[in-house]
Amino acid sequence: MDLEQAAGFVLEEGKRYGIDSFDLIATDSEDIGIEVFKGRIVSTETSRSRGVGIRVLNNSRPGYSYSERFSKEALSQMVRDAMDQTEITDPLDMELPGPKPLAEVDLKHYNPALEKLDFAWMREQGLALDQASWESDKRVENVPHVGVGKSSTQSLIANSKGVFVKKESNVAYLGTGLVVAEGDIKKMGSYYRSGRDISQFDPSYIAKEAAYRGTELLGAKPLSSGVYTIVLGNRISPQIFGMFSSPYFADAVQKGSSRLVGKLGNEVASSALSIYCEAHTPDYPGSRLVDAEGIPTSARTKVLENGILKSYLYNLESAKKDNVLPTGHGVRSYSGRAGTSFSNMIVPLGNKTRDELLASDSHCILVTKLEGGAGCSAVSGEISIGVQGIYYKNGKPEHAVDRITMNTNYFDLLHKIQGISNEYSDSYSSIKVPDILISEIHVAG
Amino acid sequence: MNQSNIETLIDAGKKRKADFVEIYEEESRNSSISLRDQKIEQSLAATDYGIGIRLVYGTDVLYAYTSNDDQQHLLSLIHLLADSRGEVANGSGTFTLPGDVSKYSFSKNIHDPRKVPPFRRLELLQTADSVARKVSSKIIQVGVSASDIVTNVLIANSEGLWVEDLRVRSRFFLSVTAENKGERFVASESPGALKGFEFFEGLAVEDIAQKAGERALFMLDAGYIEGKKMPVVMGNGFGGVIFHEACGHPLETEAIRKKSSPFVGKLGESIAQSCLTAYDDGTIEEQYGSLKVDDEGMPTQKTLLIENGILKAYLADRIGSMETGSARTGSGRRESYQYAPVSRMRNTYIEAGKDSLDEMFASVDFGLYAKRMGGGSVNPATGEFNFAVEEGYVIRNGKISEPVRGATLIGKGHEILPKISMVGKDLELAAGTCGASSGSIPVTVGQPSLKVDEILVGGR
Repeated sequence: MDLEQAAGFVLEEGKRYGIDSFDLIATDSEDIGIEVFKGRIVSTETSRSRGVGIRVLNNSRPGYSYSERFSKEALSQMVRDAMDQTEITDPLDMELPGPKPLAEVDLKHYNPALEKLDFAWMREQGLALDQASWESDKRVENVPHVGVGKSSTQSLIANSKGVFVKKESNVAYLGTGLVVAEGDIKKMGSYYRSGRDISQFDPSYIAKEAAYRGTELLGAKPLSSGVYTIVLGNRISPQIFGMFSSPYFADAVQKGSSRLVGKLGNEVASSALSIYCEAHTPDYPGSRLVDAEGIPTSARTKVLENGILKSYLYNLESAKKDNVLPTGHGVRSYSGRAGTSFSNMIVPLGNKTRDELLASDSHCILVTKLEGGAGCSAVSGEISIGVQGIYYKNGKPEHAVDRITMNTNYFDLLHKIQGISNEYSDSYSSIKVPDILISEIHVAG
Repeated sequence: MNQSNIETLIDAGKKRKADFVEIYEEESRNSSISLRDQKIEQSLAATDYGIGIRLVYGTDVLYAYTSNDDQQHLLSLIHLLADSRGEVANGSGTFTLPGDVSKYSFSKNIHDPRKVPPFRRLELLQTADSVARKVSSKIIQVGVSASDIVTNVLIANSEGLWVEDLRVRSRFFLSVTAENKGERFVASESPGALKGFEFFEGLAVEDIAQKAGERALFMLDAGYIEGKKMPVVMGNGFGGVIFHEACGHPLETEAIRKKSSPFVGKLGESIAQSCLTAYDDGTIEEQYGSLKVDDEGMPTQKTLLIENGILKAYLADRIGSMETGSARTGSGRRESYQYAPVSRMRNTYIEAGKDSLDEMFASVDFGLYAKRMGGGSVNPATGEFNFAVEEGYVIRNGKISEPVRGATLIGKGHEILPKISMVGKDLELAAGTCGASSGSIPVTVGQPSLKVDEILVGGR
């Protein structure tokens, strides 16, 4: 059975069992890729993974199940499994949508040319990148990660009310992670390009950028503990904003997991900051015309504008609870329950350069690397995290810094934003945040 | 998959000149139920199924996986992999698996979770929710879930291995959110075991919920510690996550073979003080990270990593062993058929020592007692780590003083090891999930209480 046949069979089974209301998500993806180490293709991988997941509403009680087997027996068992769950679940006040017209936008998520990329192309690119990585700087000591690959995915959303939307996408990537050393100090620099425009996949450029990201941190020194002005570089500001996306979800607000409860229409951030969700931007990875529950998306949802909280993001369940229309932000994989997510999280560009931001205080830290995210909590807003970067004095770079931590709270940080740069990083990402200037951040060193 | 199909696949790989061919088939039946906002957020029962095929040429790994068990499709994947190397077929003979299948089932007396009706789990969740909410009116949210997975694994290879393993794991997760004047704090607990429903039947749910609720409430009003370098006494149990991340990952041959670890070439050398001995042990009965056989079909073992400060061994899978010369340790692991196996930890812990917790506190004028750790991460290539402290206290003049929140520990694993100067008697293990190149796998971490002479504590 292929994807459409499996979906069609499940729709028929749902009707046969007399289920009131149900929807399904199905995906089928093929990936191939290689890893290179010291001039050898040390790993080659190819895969085909697929699955279908069903959500049933039987007498308003939800039940979930999924199957990675596409046989009639397995899919029929999946439907029965989901129905069994409805015997114990609490009623869910929610109605599935019927089919609606979708925006006529080409999201450019599929490039037929990528389908022609084969192992021979990957071998050529991977070996070239491995060599370029070793040659990119004399301080390169090791190149443990060089990878090339591509994936193609078909996905399908359907429900018992007639929604049936299929999507096809593909993407390729090429990247390196290298270790640079000076004396006993080692730093890692990584840089990956991904997307559908392989003319951007220049091994020499990728290697040099990775080497730069490592070498710029050599010679790092700690700073004394204190309160500093910092600039979150545009490589890591998307990481910070991404970790704190859930407070804007209506279900998090409704379930006590967001400090933004009751703040609609209030000033929750500096007037310099706006956050939008933009779902129709071509060639952005998070773009989508319909969400995972069959609701058409909007080109732009204003979440935060000039510091004022304008809207939460809703899926079907949370919208019904607040008696508002869903905003098209339902997400779901075939193996999980429905949740909420930004499509593309966009912080609009400011009008200053990064250098102008860094010159705004006599002492400033440009943060270019985060040490994991374990010290960050989207519920409490806590940020306590190791960082690395460059220390600037009077607008000029003095030296790299490491072995320091940044300590603040996300909801306080929003009020301390003093400026936003005019440049995003060039990563293929659904989160676009420029450099962010923030005052009065506790740094321990 | 039957024997004939397996043999045909292995034969196909051998004919394409692979030095080693491995077939991995996996079917998992997983179920979970979660409660939030005093409502069932999700109840799920589902099936995962797939096959992984590994061809090895020298130490080059070619891996394919699929959830489609059609034999022609599987053969096409083998040829696709071999084509990627330009390997042409030769005419070797038909492959035959010698002998009988070895069948394992780690827990002999499991209460099969597949036969337990969902409402039995729901009762546990409702109990936990009720107990946690009764702690205080400031408890504004409780999230609780119970999940289990029954996995049948088949591993066969061109060396004649044919193993089947039945694995049953269960896990309980609880998070409690306390709120006061807009401030929030979340405390969580997540015990797990290589057991069936008997794990939940023996779980002290009320006690777990009570303690988590009290901790959320207590830490809600905590202040912050001033960030700087200081001595740190680390609590037992999940405190072992710092050793797991900062030292365990760099001891895996997956890092060693790529010269991407500060411990490369250090076997036999002193890397810690003599008070420190550490193991990675896959054989501990019913522990969350235990396995009868690893995901390459090798029986697991108790591996001595560090003995009295001396580095004794790395954790090796097949490829890591070939490339580093280290003996295989039954450490080849993967999340599922969607990953090729690499060397990974199982139950990793520092052995109990001689010191008491009071002696450790008494040796500190000003420092941090990191009683409970949150998560953490490490870059094996540089050794740089970052850990969150979920429950912490200031140590002042040898005594525990006020609670502090939002503390972080950062440093480099190989630099911190020699600074562990005291090791407690109170070894405890705790379940966790470890993410790395072969996916997220169940593990156990552990340690007795430890004193680290100096570490950078993030605070304000």
